[in-house]
Amino acid sequence: MMATPATEYFLGWAPAIVPTVSANQGPDAAETFVRALYAEHGRSVLAYATRLTGDRAAAEDVVQETLVRAWKHADDLDQSKGSVRGWLLTVARNLVTDRARARAARPVEVADVVDRPPVERDHSEAVVNTMVVLGALDQVSPEHREVLVELYYRGRSVAEAAKELGVPPGTVKSRTYYALRAVRAVLAGHNGEVAR
Amino acid sequence: MSEHDYSQLGAYALGALDPVESREVDEHLATCAECRAELAELEEMKEFLGEVPPEAFLDGPPDDGDLLLQRTLREVRETPARKSRWKPWLLAAAAVVVVAGVLGGGVLIGRQTVEQADAPVPGSKVVTAADATTGATMTTTVEPREGWAWIKVQITGLKPGDECVMLVTDKAGKTWTAGSWLISDKAAHDGSRFGGGVLVPPDQVKSVEIKTVQGKHVVTTTV
Repeated sequence: MMATPATEYFLGWAPAIVPTVSANQGPDAAETFVRALYAEHGRSVLAYATRLTGDRAAAEDVVQETLVRAWKHADDLDQSKGSVRGWLLTVARNLVTDRARARAARPVEVADVVDRPPVERDHSEAVVNTMVVLGALDQVSPEHREVLVELYYRGRSVAEAAKELGVPPGTVKSRTYYALRAVRAVLAGHNGEVAR
Repeated sequence: MSEHDYSQLGAYALGALDPVESREVDEHLATCAECRAELAELEEMKEFLGEVPPEAFLDGPPDDGDLLLQRTLREVRETPARKSRWKPWLLAAAAVVVVAGVLGGGVLIGRQTVEQADAPVPGSKVVTAADATTGATMTTTVEPREGWAWIKVQITGLKPGDECVMLVTDKAGKTWTAGSWLISDKAAHDGSRFGGGVLVPPDQVKSVEIKTVQGKHVVTTTV
């Protein structure tokens, strides 16, 4: 397998952040937009923020700020569920980090922040983060995704997952293998699912 | 475990086999370089999965969250949708740290040490250049799109009333116009931001030049 240029690798799923006009239409649009995000992703973002902050009230502030930012960037979020959620979770995490840092006494000098090296420019390298991985998980088949959620994210054993999913343990095992291969294939920029 | 039974390895990598099976795999791995190599790749994917928090798989609205929703709606009603508020985008680009050589040799996962809270556009390239003659400084961001590129520029050192054109040259030497705009007093003072799309694959963008409508060179960044 060849290394795939970053650009190609992103084009498959990535942020079709094509500007749309939908978001720019006043209070009603704002309300509809935020309600929709809240109804679909609210539990996810709040649970994550609660774990990170250890404090429900602080977590609610983070969720509120995350949704407000989503509204400000509504044009960029006209996308599939996975990457929208990845965006929201990333923003929430960054807010928690920022707040922790703000509390940690030393004021951040602006120059401090700006003086960072720019984005990596080598085409053979790529960013792998929450949005990318969640985007990849959206691209593999539902069976593959579900087995990874059970075994990895919910920490279930093969036997437990088999019961939960109603398939034999052998199927859980082979699916897990092919699921990991499929995620790898997506991240490597190959479109096709791995067989099976 | 039978010879090269890869299908066990996925569950093994995720720690989901029972102790007996797990021991069988251990024994086989001890003698089989091929399976060890396969396992290494699977474990790499496991690390990737770690970039996503488990909460990502919860759906629906929060429990008992109505007050939160109402508060948020109140704030949003008072917030206009993006008035081209790009101020953090330079930082956003800087935040795209993290780099992985995907496949071939191994994949590194980086963590974002992000200085502000907006999510970056993955794969963007950012370049800054100053023109000693005209005194203009420009930061250019090339954001990848599906087969084309969205180019954002932030320029300081312009004069009010300048009419600017953004020209994008691709690696084949062809020049594309990505739009034109007028520099207001405020933009001359605070810096001017402009964006335009060109039908050039992101990795083919070679340089971005700003000229005045009258044809005078202002500043160029080479991507």
